[in-house]
Amino acid sequence: MKKFEFYKPKSLTEVWELKEMIPNSRYIAGGTDVMVKVKSGLLVPDALISLRDIPELKNITVGENIHIGAGSTISELIDNEQLQTSVPVLIQAAKRIGSLQIRNVATIGGNIGNCSPCADTAPALLVLEARVVVRSGKNIREIPLQNFFTGPGASCLTSQEIVVEIIIDIPNTKTKAISMKKGRVQLDLALASVAVLMETDGNFCKKVRIAAGSVAPVPLRLIEVEKLLENSEITEEKIKEAQQIAMKSVSPISDVRTTADYRCQLVGVYVKKSIQSLIN
Amino acid sequence: MKREISFNVNSQQMKLEVESHLRLIDLIRDQLGLTGTKEGCGEGECGACTVIVDGKAVNACLYPALELEGRTLITIEGLLEEENKPSVIQKAFIDNGAVQCGFCSPGMIMSTKALLDKNNDPSDEEIRIALLGNLCRCTGYVQIVESVKAAASQIRRKS
Repeated sequence: MKKFEFYKPKSLTEVWELKEMIPNSRYIAGGTDVMVKVKSGLLVPDALISLRDIPELKNITVGENIHIGAGSTISELIDNEQLQTSVPVLIQAAKRIGSLQIRNVATIGGNIGNCSPCADTAPALLVLEARVVVRSGKNIREIPLQNFFTGPGASCLTSQEIVVEIIIDIPNTKTKAISMKKGRVQLDLALASVAVLMETDGNFCKKVRIAAGSVAPVPLRLIEVEKLLENSEITEEKIKEAQQIAMKSVSPISDVRTTADYRCQLVGVYVKKSIQSLIN
Repeated sequence: MKREISFNVNSQQMKLEVESHLRLIDLIRDQLGLTGTKEGCGEGECGACTVIVDGKAVNACLYPALELEGRTLITIEGLLEEENKPSVIQKAFIDNGAVQCGFCSPGMIMSTKALLDKNNDPSDEEIRIALLGNLCRCTGYVQIVESVKAAASQIRRKS
């Protein structure tokens, strides 16, 4: 492993100064992805710039909407009582991330910014229609999460930009949501994951958002399935149809973890199970 | 490049020059000579290197050494009681046959300590969630969970 410098800036301003000084540098937050990549030689930076102790990235506030500082650890999310009440689906997904040791250091900004197709918080954040606030110096952009990912490990971020915050509008109290993940064992990466958010009146679906992970180059919304269900009566037939369309809406790969075909099956089954559990 | 950092390790305040590319596991084993902490996979899967930083269990193989600045570290050596006697948790692991080759034990015990420091009456599920990031390839997990429960009940009796 090549030696590298390690910087611990105290503010975002300092972060960008360092980044400008050292072009071949990488940001590091919890390190659960970056440290593995550095060790294996996938990343060979001249320096790592730590975002771990930047106060501007640590706030979680729940008011008119929810602001989650990108540097909040997954454990901090799970332990936050306001988030437990306002966005339980995000907490449900967060609890399925890795092990406690991982959750204690891994951050929500990292989970999103790493742009893995299997990012565990992504489907939940997608159905919550989260926005990602990214910043470089004085330039601030707010990007719908849906448009953030551009491919495996790739996003619309420039190399200077940092994810600073996730913003979520508090869901209407009549909505319910669920997140499901299949991994070989609990702490494994997702073979497939699904999140569904629904507002129903009896069996009538007024609003629905469906997202899936690990089944395409990026975590994605299943818009065609949403169109099928929204503003219609949810019947057994409809659910079967939703399951079929969900399977056709994804483009998974076969890899060491499982086959593309099994991933398709999983998405279909999870979409079905999620809808069934939300209307009952 | 080397940088000086100060931190607390096993109740002792320290100042140390550390190479900037090192991981916490390197600092603990090679610089502090505390070889009780083991490196298994080196990528955060097995938990053999689990230590406690500011009250939280972390993988020392994924933690940059310089991040220790200003923080409090506990390693397995920090659990020993007076005259180097094993702590309640260590004793419970021995008494319940939770140790075979022993390589995972320091990590298991540190995860157990992080859990019991916050919750001295955990359910089976809470124990399994807390220890999920620690893999054992010898004994299986039944004896380990039993040990955690035995240690918890000892700790409750003392408090």
